[in-house]
Amino acid sequence: MKRSDRITGVVILVAVALVVVFWIVIHRTPGTLAVVQVDGKVVATVDLTSHEVQTLRITGVLGPLVIVADGKGSIRVTAATCPDQICVHTIPARSPGDQVICVPNHMVITIEGEGTGIDAVAQ
Amino acid sequence: MRKVIAPIVALMVAGAGLAAFFVLRASPEPVTSTYFLMDTVLTVKTTGGDAAAINEHLHALASDVDSMTSYYKAESETVRVNTAAGKGPVSVSPEYGALVKAAVAVEAIDHGRTFDIAISPVSSLWGFTTKDFRVPAAKEISDTLAYSHSDQLVISGNTVQLRDHRARIDLGGIAKGYSLDVMEEYLHSVKPQPRQVIVDFGGDLLLYSGGRKHDWKIGIRDPRGQEIIGYVRSGDAFVATSGDYERYFERDGKRYCHIIDPSTGYPGTLNQSVTVITDIQPMHGAIGDALGKIFFCSPAETQRSLFQTVQGQGIIGAILVDATGTQSTLGPITFVPTGAP
Repeated sequence: MKRSDRITGVVILVAVALVVVFWIVIHRTPGTLAVVQVDGKVVATVDLTSHEVQTLRITGVLGPLVIVADGKGSIRVTAATCPDQICVHTIPARSPGDQVICVPNHMVITIEGEGTGIDAVAQ
Repeated sequence: MRKVIAPIVALMVAGAGLAAFFVLRASPEPVTSTYFLMDTVLTVKTTGGDAAAINEHLHALASDVDSMTSYYKAESETVRVNTAAGKGPVSVSPEYGALVKAAVAVEAIDHGRTFDIAISPVSSLWGFTTKDFRVPAAKEISDTLAYSHSDQLVISGNTVQLRDHRARIDLGGIAKGYSLDVMEEYLHSVKPQPRQVIVDFGGDLLLYSGGRKHDWKIGIRDPRGQEIIGYVRSGDAFVATSGDYERYFERDGKRYCHIIDPSTGYPGTLNQSVTVITDIQPMHGAIGDALGKIFFCSPAETQRSLFQTVQGQGIIGAILVDATGTQSTLGPITFVPTGAP
């Protein structure tokens, strides 16, 4: 085996390793992340693994909403300009797949993350 | 050395390209879209095919059903029938006629005791149509019940008529399920076929994988919490849930949910939630939706006997949580509670 063949072999191995690493990086499981959407567009993402209390002020279709992540992994709507206030009274979201929805404001908070293997939740 | 580098770079590029090709081919990224209609959220997650276009089309189909069946939209067929109550027959589209007939056929399973599209004047009394909630007096309820029954409906050819001028119909109890039927019909014929489509219409589901026979894992929401109480596995199916936790109001510590028991005129209190799984057949989305209401307003013994009546007609199974929070199932399904090994 020539020296250049050996180099080629090593470099191919490195290249394959790089491809694998790259693939894992782009497909890695995110930490628990809350995605806030208004009218189907993502307006904010909140890292729920952070221990800080985070307050978001966003604008829904009807008006402003205040969203608070409590620093303990939960997120909820604390104030909203909607007639029924269902979103404010919804149980805080914390696990992948959980949602807090404000229909009048066309606002959805969804917790992303893997692990449950559940395709969809009947509710 | 330079001689060595060129083929190596070429190999690396080719290798990366090949890897990317296989990765992309093996698992196209799902496209998720969220829409708002029928006072709820429609989420569509499509993998493969022309995913974004499929999502848009599914939303358009649901919008069409909304425009046809809405209790509120001035141009809907429901509003035309309701405004003509006590006046005479109204010509309706063949689709609308078929939907009303399907609803009445499901009502007949339990002789209209637990599901009735003509109960809406009583729902209005409770404020569920205006969200101006109140607990009506018993006399008001019994007076209104007198004309809030499907025997007010006359279906003849392509016309629908309500006899009493105060009678009203509301297809809200089956419109979401029916939308899933219309969507499934479209998915069946669309080219190129998507690999998988999950439609979540306000918690009612359509799970579609075409001929791929995907084994779906369906979570069942805890009616008193945000988590799931467990899951069931199923092939492609419609999954309809009726619960007392989505739309309700409370007075003096008592919960009043939006599903009115047509035999009493009061909100159903026997169950916290009922999930009905039906197979992929025409109208089974709508039928599953209606069956959910029937089971919701029935006690356990009746649920079992009703299930025996409808079993073999496309209903796969049901997951029930009664008023005390006790979980049970009907049919050949395996429910795996959260925390089970």
